[in-house]
Amino acid sequence: MERSGNADLKHLKPQIAPFREEMILNMGPQHPSTHGVLNFLIVTDGEVIHQALPNVGYLHRGFEKLAEQTPYTTFIPYTDRIDYLAAMFGNHAYVLAVEKLAEIEVPGRAEFLRVIVCELNRIASHLISTGALALDIGATTPFVHWIRERECINDIMEAICGARLTYNYMRIGGVSRDINESIADQILKFLDHFEPMIDEYNRLISFNEIFIKRLANVAVISQIDAVNFGLVGPNLRGSGIEMDIRKIMPYSVYDRFDFDVPFGEGFKGTLGDSYDRYFVRILEIKESCSIVRQALSKLPKGNIKAKVKRKLKIKENECYSSVESARGEMGMYLVSDGTDKPYRLKIKTGSFTAMSIVEKVSQRLMVADLIAFIGSLDVVAPEIDR
Amino acid sequence: MVPVLEAAIKQYFKNIYHSLYSITEGMAVTMSYMFRRPATIQYPNKLEKPLENQLSDRFRGILQVDINYCIGCRICENTCPIDCIAITIEKNKETKERFLTRFDIDISKCMYCGLCSENCSTSAIYHTKVFNGINRDIENLIIRFVDKPTALYKLPKGSDPMETPKDHYGAILVRKMKG
Amino acid sequence: MKDYADILFEYLFKTSIESSPFSLAWYILFIFLVAGVLLFFAANFAGITSFIERRIAARIQSRVGPNVVGPQGVLQWVADGIKLLLKEDLIPGRADRFLFRAAPYFVFSGLFAAFVALPFGYGIVAADLNIGIYYIFAITSLVVVGIIMGGWSSNSKWAMFGAFRSAAQIISYEIPTALSLIPVIMLTGSLSTQDIIIAQGGMPWDWYIFHSPFTLACFIIFFISALAEGNRIPFDLPEAESELVSGYNTEYSGFRFLVFPMAEWANLWVISAMVTLTYLGGWQIPFVSLETISGSPFLILISVGIFFVKTSIVVFIVIQLRWTLPRVRVDQMTLLCWTYLVPISLVAIVGTMVWMLVFPWDGTPGLLIRLLMSGIGAAACLFYIKRIRFNYLNDKLLFERLKGKPSWYPFWRLP
Repeated sequence: MERSGNADLKHLKPQIAPFREEMILNMGPQHPSTHGVLNFLIVTDGEVIHQALPNVGYLHRGFEKLAEQTPYTTFIPYTDRIDYLAAMFGNHAYVLAVEKLAEIEVPGRAEFLRVIVCELNRIASHLISTGALALDIGATTPFVHWIRERECINDIMEAICGARLTYNYMRIGGVSRDINESIADQILKFLDHFEPMIDEYNRLISFNEIFIKRLANVAVISQIDAVNFGLVGPNLRGSGIEMDIRKIMPYSVYDRFDFDVPFGEGFKGTLGDSYDRYFVRILEIKESCSIVRQALSKLPKGNIKAKVKRKLKIKENECYSSVESARGEMGMYLVSDGTDKPYRLKIKTGSFTAMSIVEKVSQRLMVADLIAFIGSLDVVAPEIDR
Repeated sequence: MVPVLEAAIKQYFKNIYHSLYSITEGMAVTMSYMFRRPATIQYPNKLEKPLENQLSDRFRGILQVDINYCIGCRICENTCPIDCIAITIEKNKETKERFLTRFDIDISKCMYCGLCSENCSTSAIYHTKVFNGINRDIENLIIRFVDKPTALYKLPKGSDPMETPKDHYGAILVRKMKG
Repeated sequence: MKDYADILFEYLFKTSIESSPFSLAWYILFIFLVAGVLLFFAANFAGITSFIERRIAARIQSRVGPNVVGPQGVLQWVADGIKLLLKEDLIPGRADRFLFRAAPYFVFSGLFAAFVALPFGYGIVAADLNIGIYYIFAITSLVVVGIIMGGWSSNSKWAMFGAFRSAAQIISYEIPTALSLIPVIMLTGSLSTQDIIIAQGGMPWDWYIFHSPFTLACFIIFFISALAEGNRIPFDLPEAESELVSGYNTEYSGFRFLVFPMAEWANLWVISAMVTLTYLGGWQIPFVSLETISGSPFLILISVGIFFVKTSIVVFIVIQLRWTLPRVRVDQMTLLCWTYLVPISLVAIVGTMVWMLVFPWDGTPGLLIRLLMSGIGAAACLFYIKRIRFNYLNDKLLFERLKGKPSWYPFWRLP
């Protein structure tokens, strides 16, 4: 624990004051579970955890300061990298904020294209999150199967916008490239192939007795706790609260689609346990498939980008826009001051609020359960410390 | 019998049955993969066609500039978020003609965002399908596209700036990359 | 084996062994020869199984697996062994040096000594002990001592965690392992491994697994307990990679580290051989009686082949289970042992005793029940194959539409 560059660990130790049988373990910044560079200080007596403190900040890159020095149109590649597994949502949130401030009207075809790529990206992000949870529990094959399906989505994205992970697809006023018949055909063929795969995955691991035993009744988050600690996204919906930005405050063209938002209901255990959060994500994948099909069938013709000045200057104003990202609500609070660079950009992500509940819920868990709990929360380190 | 005891015994046997059934279903799924095509592409030795042919034209690989078509507007230099393009234009005192003397792209810094190629007025700068930039020396990754001072391009009247020919296989780039 | 030693001596030196003064030296030489052959077999099996497990795991995950090092990658395990031999031999500064160096020896010897009592064919067993099964259990318990020594002497919290968990697991699963073999011993009347196989027959309804529903339950219990004894997933906690960074062998490197996984892979053979010889009929050839086997060396070779085939199928199932199932938690593992496995095996012992009285082995009702049970077994296998076919056909057409390439790629086609 005495490492240079981690000054706050030294003054945490007297704060924790362990008893004689307890020891302080360091589930260090590099551990073989995925989820990025996270550090937990665990006070335990062998198997049961008495306290688990998250220690974040290893991946801070200073996005909000960078935004103050970059013009509006040029900041979009940076928003990809806030959460690189769900990059389109970062793009979308920022572009929505700027369009709100500058009062730019987005053509219909661009809105539908945005919905298509956002939902495909939601599927891709949930594939990684459910696969990584299975990997932490000990089953290695489901993760590899899902990576194989994600490669098909990456191929579609490469055909649309040219890159596989950091898309830089949306522009202020629309999107950058159009799709043609062959890409739409590729998307439909992929969806036909993929939907039976979800059932196969459920047969392989979701309904497996050992998996259910590991996740059911573990780390239950009650409804009151979920609202008080500010959880968002599938974590909140897993506890039964009906909150989805796409339904409550519809942005873009989401009010024209017919889809359900799945909520946890104690599928195999109590309401709000880890299995609920996991299964809500599996059900969301199915809903996203149906949204993409509806959007492809309703795609209107027209421009893909509104005419926007190259050097965009916005007068003094401020606004907040939020999208329903794969990990919850991603909000951007943008303050402009009349030049072509913003005065302040504040990014709110879902994983940051999820870290706040780790300390409370982990008080009676075992070490193996803590890993299942963090996996079911679906935290991604770059989102926590932008 | 006491109903709680009876329910417990039923649950006991149901647990055993459900465990064995779900494990058998899982084993059937994995066994079926022994007969299905693996998804691996064995790059670079066992490809059916070279990888450059399999990528689409929109792929954002390493940048390439066709100097003959550059009009010196410096839009790419200003749009780049990372400042990896460096352009110098000099003016000949006698003939009042402007020449490009330097057009360097540092591809070790480039993040392949595509903002420069999208905003170029004549499509002189564009992405190729080359993605392999392995080099022993990082100095070699600054690609200098100007050999001798070149006159700036004059767009003929009535021609579409987006119609300039693009070589997506990157012949100019491959020639200029050393090592 | 002693008869073979005598025959070989007469063949080589043309004198009978009782009259020769070199008999003691010859016997000792023969002992070393047999030990060398067994060790050669066990170590090579461990190496080749590591390679085959990686290829099977890769095909299950729709990848290819190592195929670069030799032709189709068959020299991969040699490359791994050489690499680990050449690594630096680190001993942590504050570790207990003597225990740290001694721990791999305990694990190694505990496991490889079990090969002595395992049969390979008719009359081919290193030592036909009349307490064969009992000896195998006793000698594999030495592994626990090695693991605890390894965890304790590493002087690291994580390694100690792994060692204690592993000790709890192995010790508590010794009991169902022994209890579930008691019906087999009761049916045979002897503890010797060769006797158990001789008492079974060649046809599937002559195997012990289909004798009664109780022995079927005991087969499943023995299989699960043997998996737990060998630290295989789903009972992988001591080496849980994503939790403890490999448990009790965290601080080992180089060849000392190699001993632990090598012992685990060699244990695969021991587990599968035990399962085959006690429940699946061992090396018995169908339609051939024991007297004809002892007559011809060709049939002896066939019996060796049958044993290998049966054991390999069980090894394949164990490997497939590893890559399908997740890990159980430590308290769930002990719960499984004490509330499910032990009571059911105790009930099964009493049940088998009653069954043996009511339906004796040679009578007609006994034969009919065994035929019925083997019918049930065959139906379960057919159900399994039907589900495999369903999973394959579920995806075949849509995959071919998406990728444009045929989906049928069986595992004997090596890419």
